[in-house]
Amino acid sequence: MSQLWEMIFQSEFLFSVIRITAPILFAALGAAIAERAGLTNMGLEGMMMISALFGTLTSYWTQSWIIGVLCALLVGLVLSLMVGFFALKLKTDIILAGIAVNMLGSGGTIFLLYMFTGMRGNTGALVSENILIPTVHIPLIQDIPVLGDILSGHSVLTYLAFLFVLLMWVLLYKTPVGLSIRAVGENEHAAESVGIKVRRIQYTALAISGSLAGLGGAFMSMYYSQGWNSGMVAGRGFIALAAQAMGQGEPVGTMLSSLLFGLAQALRTKVSALQGASSYLVSVIPYVATVLGLVIYAAATIRRVKKARRTKHVAAPVEEKE
Amino acid sequence: MKDRRLMLFEVARGTAAILLALLVATIFIFLCSDEPMTALRYLLIGPIIKDSGGFNTMSFYTILAAMIPTIFTGLATCVMFSAGQFNLASEGGAMAGGFVAALCGIYIQMNTGLHAVVCVVIAAIVCGLIMLIPALLKVKLGASEMVTSLMLNYIIMYIVLHFLNYNFADRSKGSTQTYPFAETAQIPALVPGGSKLSWGFVVALVFVVIIALFMYRTRWGYAIRMIGINKSFASYSGMKVGGVIVLSQVIGGLLSGLGGSIEVLGRYTTFLWKELPGYGWTGITIAILAKNNPIFVPFAAFFIAYLNKGCSLMATYSDVPAEMIDIIQAAIFLFFAAEQFLARYRQKIVVRNTQADLAKLETVKGGETQ
Repeated sequence: MSQLWEMIFQSEFLFSVIRITAPILFAALGAAIAERAGLTNMGLEGMMMISALFGTLTSYWTQSWIIGVLCALLVGLVLSLMVGFFALKLKTDIILAGIAVNMLGSGGTIFLLYMFTGMRGNTGALVSENILIPTVHIPLIQDIPVLGDILSGHSVLTYLAFLFVLLMWVLLYKTPVGLSIRAVGENEHAAESVGIKVRRIQYTALAISGSLAGLGGAFMSMYYSQGWNSGMVAGRGFIALAAQAMGQGEPVGTMLSSLLFGLAQALRTKVSALQGASSYLVSVIPYVATVLGLVIYAAATIRRVKKARRTKHVAAPVEEKE
Repeated sequence: MKDRRLMLFEVARGTAAILLALLVATIFIFLCSDEPMTALRYLLIGPIIKDSGGFNTMSFYTILAAMIPTIFTGLATCVMFSAGQFNLASEGGAMAGGFVAALCGIYIQMNTGLHAVVCVVIAAIVCGLIMLIPALLKVKLGASEMVTSLMLNYIIMYIVLHFLNYNFADRSKGSTQTYPFAETAQIPALVPGGSKLSWGFVVALVFVVIIALFMYRTRWGYAIRMIGINKSFASYSGMKVGGVIVLSQVIGGLLSGLGGSIEVLGRYTTFLWKELPGYGWTGITIAILAKNNPIFVPFAAFFIAYLNKGCSLMATYSDVPAEMIDIIQAAIFLFFAAEQFLARYRQKIVVRNTQADLAKLETVKGGETQ
C-alpha cells in the first residue's frame, strides 16, 4: 500500500493522469455540447474508433500528422452529421443511430482497414515517428521544478483538449450561438417560437460534438497508442457520456469529472503493476468510479432540490429526468 | 381494411430497409473484393444451400442453434425498450448468466433433468438481481440507466474474468477455462450431430410465447407498454411508474441471464468466454427489427443468425472480412428504426383511407336523407 502512495505522489503519475484524461475530455466535451442542445450523442465511441483509423491512415498516406488530425476531425464531423440526418430528418431514435455508429466503429473499422490496406486488426506496421502528434515543451513552465514535469511535454492535442474547455464555456455563455444551443436544449418549441432555427442549431451542436470526438480519436491512434488497433478506444466514448452526466453539461464540471476518470484509469495502470493485485479487479476501477460518481452526483442533486423546496415553501413539481 | 393497408405498408417499408442495407453491403463487397459474385453467393444463399446445390440441413441447424441466446437477449431488449428504458446491459447479463450457470453445473450435484433447470434458474435470478442496480438508480436517483448499464457491462466482464482466472480456472488446460460441468447439467441436443442445436431452442420459443402473452395479455405488460408510450400519462392515470420501470429491467435481466446460461450449458462443456459475448448488442438489433413485439423476435433472430452465418462463410471462402456483418447491421439499424423513412407514402395511404371513409360516410348520409 505504501508503495502505491509513493507512486501516486510522483510528478510522473500526475503527468499520466493528464495524458489519459485528454481523449476522455475531448469526447466528454462532445457529449456535453450535444446534450446541451438536447441530443444524446451515443455514437462517440464509434466516432472515435473510425476517426482514429482514418487519422492514422491519412497521416501515413500524406506523411503529415496535421493532415491526419484534420482528416480525423472531418470524419468525426461527417459521422455526426450522418447521425443528425437519421435522427433529425428520418426520426431514427438518436440513441439507436448512435449505436449504429458504434457498430460501424467496432466491426466496420476492421473491415475498412482490410479494404484499404489488407491489414487485419491493427496498423502497427504503418506507424513511424514523424506521423505521430508531436509533444511540446512549454518554454517557461518546463523549468519550474515539479509543475514543469507535470504540465510540460504533452502532445499538442492534450493542450488543445484543455483549451477547448475554455472555448466551450465562451461558446455556450458568451455567444449568440451558445445561447441558441442552450435554448434549444431547454425547450425546442419555445426556442422555435422566438425565431431560433432549431434544426440548424441541432446540426451545429452535433457537428461540434463529432469534431471533438474526431480529435479524441486522433489523439488515441496518433499519440496515445501509437497506431490504430481494434480494441483501442475501450469504452472511452461511454465513459465520456458518464463524465458529461456528472458534469451536467457544464464545460468545467465535465472537465473535472473527466479528470476523475483519468485519475481512475491512471490508478489502474499503477495498481496493476503492483505484485499480487488482480489485473481484472483493477480494470474495474474506472467503471465503478463512473457509477459511483453518477450516484453521488444524483443523490446530491436530489438533496439540493429538496432543500430548495423546503426553504421556498413551495411544492414545485420536480420534473423527472430522462 | 385500412389497418391491413397500413400493415402492408409497414412490411414493405421493413423490406425496403433490409434491401437497402443489403445494397450497401453489396456496394462494399464490390469495392473490396476481387471475386464479388462468389462472396455474394456465400453471403446470401451459402448458409442453407450446399455447394453441390442441395439443401444444407446441418448448416440450417447451426443457424437455429445460433438463435438461442439472441432470442433471449432480443426478448429482454423488447421488454426494456417497450418501457422506454434504454438498458444496454443484456450483454453483461448474458455473460454473468453463463458464468453462474457454469459454476452451478460444476459445484452442485444433482439428478439429470433437474440439474440443468436449477443452474439456469439460479443464473436467471442472479442476473435479475444485477439489473436491480441500474433500475433502482434510475427510479430512486434519476441516474441514466443507459450510462450505468453500459458501465455495468464492463464491470461484469472484469469481475467474471477475475473469478475465472483466480478462483475457478482449470490449471491443467492450456487456455483459461473452468472445469467441465457435470454431465447432468448439460442441456441435451435436440437433433443428433455437431450442430449444437439443443433443447434450449424449444425453451426459447416457449419464452417467446410467454413474453408475448405477458406483454399483451397482462396488467403488468400493459403498464410497461403504456409507460413506454407516455410516462406522464401513465403516472397520472395511477400506475406505479417506478415499480414498473424496475420490473421491466428485472425481467430484462432474467431473460438475458437465461439466454447466457442456456447457451453455455447447451453449447459448451466448460465456461471459456474471455470477453463479452456480443449477444446483448445483437439483441438490440433484433428488438429493433421486431419493433419491440416479442412474436417477431424469432424471425428477426433467424434473419440475423442467417446473415452472420453468411458473413462467416463469405470470410472463409472469399476475400471479404466477416466484420461485414457490422456494416449490414448498422445500416439496418439506421433505416429500420427511421420513422420518417418513406413516410410520405404512409401519409398518402392515410389520406386515401380518410377520403374513402369520408366518401362512405357521404353515401350513408345520402341514403338516410332520401
